[in-house]
Amino acid sequence: MSSETTLAAIPSCRPAVAPRLLAFGAMAALVLFLMCLNIRIGSISYSTAQVWDALCNPAGSDNLSFIVWKIRLPRAIAAVLGGAFLATSGLLLQVYFRNPIVGPFILGISSGATVMTSLVMLTGLGLGFAAVSPYLNTLAACIGAYGVTLLVVTIASRVKSGVTLLIVGLMMGYLCSAVTAILTALAEKERIKGFVLWTQGSFAGFSWPEIQVMLGLGGLLMACIYLLSKPLNAFLLGEEYAASMGVNIRAFRMLILFLSSSLAGLVTAMAGPVAFVGLAVPHMARLSLGTSDNRVLIPGACLMGALVASLCDLIARTWLSPVELPLSSITAFFGAPIVLILLLKRGMKP
Amino acid sequence: MNGEIVLSCTDLCVGYKRKVLSDVNVAFEAGCFIALLGPNGVGKTTLLRTLSRHLKPLSGRVEILGRDLQELPALELARRMAVVLTDKSRPPLLSVFEYVALGRYPHTGFMGRLTPRDEAAVDEALAAVAASDLAPRLVETLSDGERQKAVLARALAQDPKLLLLDEPTAHLDLKHRVEVMSILRDLCRTRGLTVIASLHDVDVAAKVSDRALLVKSGRVVDYGLPERVLTSRAVADLYDFAEADFSRHLGSIELRGDGRAGRAFVTAGLGHGAEIFRLLAKRGMTISTGILAEGDLDSFVAEALGATAFVRHNGDAAEDLLPQATAALDGCAFVVDGGPQTGAAAEINRRILAAARERGLPVLPRETSADLAKLAAAMDGLAAR
Repeated sequence: MSSETTLAAIPSCRPAVAPRLLAFGAMAALVLFLMCLNIRIGSISYSTAQVWDALCNPAGSDNLSFIVWKIRLPRAIAAVLGGAFLATSGLLLQVYFRNPIVGPFILGISSGATVMTSLVMLTGLGLGFAAVSPYLNTLAACIGAYGVTLLVVTIASRVKSGVTLLIVGLMMGYLCSAVTAILTALAEKERIKGFVLWTQGSFAGFSWPEIQVMLGLGGLLMACIYLLSKPLNAFLLGEEYAASMGVNIRAFRMLILFLSSSLAGLVTAMAGPVAFVGLAVPHMARLSLGTSDNRVLIPGACLMGALVASLCDLIARTWLSPVELPLSSITAFFGAPIVLILLLKRGMKP
Repeated sequence: MNGEIVLSCTDLCVGYKRKVLSDVNVAFEAGCFIALLGPNGVGKTTLLRTLSRHLKPLSGRVEILGRDLQELPALELARRMAVVLTDKSRPPLLSVFEYVALGRYPHTGFMGRLTPRDEAAVDEALAAVAASDLAPRLVETLSDGERQKAVLARALAQDPKLLLLDEPTAHLDLKHRVEVMSILRDLCRTRGLTVIASLHDVDVAAKVSDRALLVKSGRVVDYGLPERVLTSRAVADLYDFAEADFSRHLGSIELRGDGRAGRAFVTAGLGHGAEIFRLLAKRGMTISTGILAEGDLDSFVAEALGATAFVRHNGDAAEDLLPQATAALDGCAFVVDGGPQTGAAAEINRRILAAARERGLPVLPRETSADLAKLAAAMDGLAAR
């Protein structure tokens, strides 16, 4: 009798594949659809056929070709990549801290990247180079992000409470903003305008070389992260259990933080600090896929991040067109309520 | 228990920055259930964390199956040793099956894909802790007891030779406490697993373990068979008992009365007295009792409760003890007739009761003491006067 119930119970406890594939398919289709919309819709309206024609002729020299190939397409791709990277970066941080209320923005990691990038953009540390290259920007941002991450981790190891961690992150954010503000005040006027736009977060103005850096470097980081799914899953049980199962904790910890802050730095260097995507998206992915298994969740968070970022960018561009809204204000509408809901849920069951 | 040494400590000093335990020299044999006993804060957890390599030893060395613990590669260690920590977290959105399957970590390939062999090992681990029915449930929905079984199953899925557990029954209800302990004992018997667990119930440890390691004041006090090591004296010293006593024969702790409520005499024997003694001790009374035969259950309970017991040794005549016993009636608040009503012992008890009546002491008769509720009420009535 008992063995029968055991056998009956077993198939249902293996994760079902079909609903997950369906969820993946739906997300991928939505991302593709939103990309198309992002290319199709803009402040100057063209017909679908015109846009399609322009897409098919990359060498075209008319206005529309320029708009599609130099503005809309890079922007649509940047939104997809940016969203995916930020979401993965947040997922890693959430696994690392075993705390659902963390992300690169809320922990001040994006602000760290901002400071270093502003140092390069405003003070002309990059003057030796012909133009501020995407590589230099990215390198600076990643260093800034990693620096803040290490600081937050050092402080977090002394205070064990998850909510305190948020406060530590907020303080980091304030400190970095203060440094950025001082740099802005000291900078030459003509450098400031573009910089201020950048600090509000936007996927606009991506050049093809920048897209290439994002795709190449980001793709490499993403591949590394996916290959780390197994130890990441062990981390779900906490560091000490992970260590007891054979994970080399010290090296792995540094690796997770490095990968997470590199992804956040990469996005921040080019799109500026984008709020809450890294925090909210992993939850949306977890809930829609119904699992914490990182082998499923990493690609899931990527797709969900691409989806959310594309949608937010579409809203930012079209809602009050021709005025373009700052991207972070739209993503905050997604993210902030999720933080509050999570905090309330925590408060109810400590 | 074939005498093979699974884990050995040589001149081991453990602690964080400060020394917590030093000069630990002990060798744990295969297939044994080893209980780590000692008061809170003495360093049981610190010792376990050192044995599980979460903490570096301050000095000395630990060998596991003949290899130096510090030099063993992480995965190889994980195949030999699994741990159960006091961590109470429940990872979200993870089924018990997936949770237990994480224990296959040192056995699976690069992406952690489960082979049919791994799945069978997970099922087997769940069955070993009688938790197969939990497999499809989410970990976050489990009760404390169910969660602890899942944690045990995860450790077993690691397929270790050695299992270290820190307070595995803390915060569990009685049912799950008993269940977890019997599962652990069965694992030693059937799989030859060596279990090292810190426990807070010395009576449970005495009944379950094959070896007991007593730790106090920064050192190991004793190690060996619990039947030898856990004497009443050793346990009292270990925990600094003043008002309690551990009885090896009873395998449990008895709490003494401090005597502030006075003294009572109980005629007892053949186990009739044990519960009466406890009723008195709970009311803060000290106890005199007699005349008991050597080896009577009542004599063990009386000893553990610190009672003055008049015990007739084999071959002695009960009459010889009668003057002492009746002398002990002086100063008693009342007398309880709790002994057997027939046989030679009954005759002696009748003579003690007669002496009590002569002294004008209240005597609670057998009709009252046979019903413990009635007896308790009568005691409270006498105390109120």
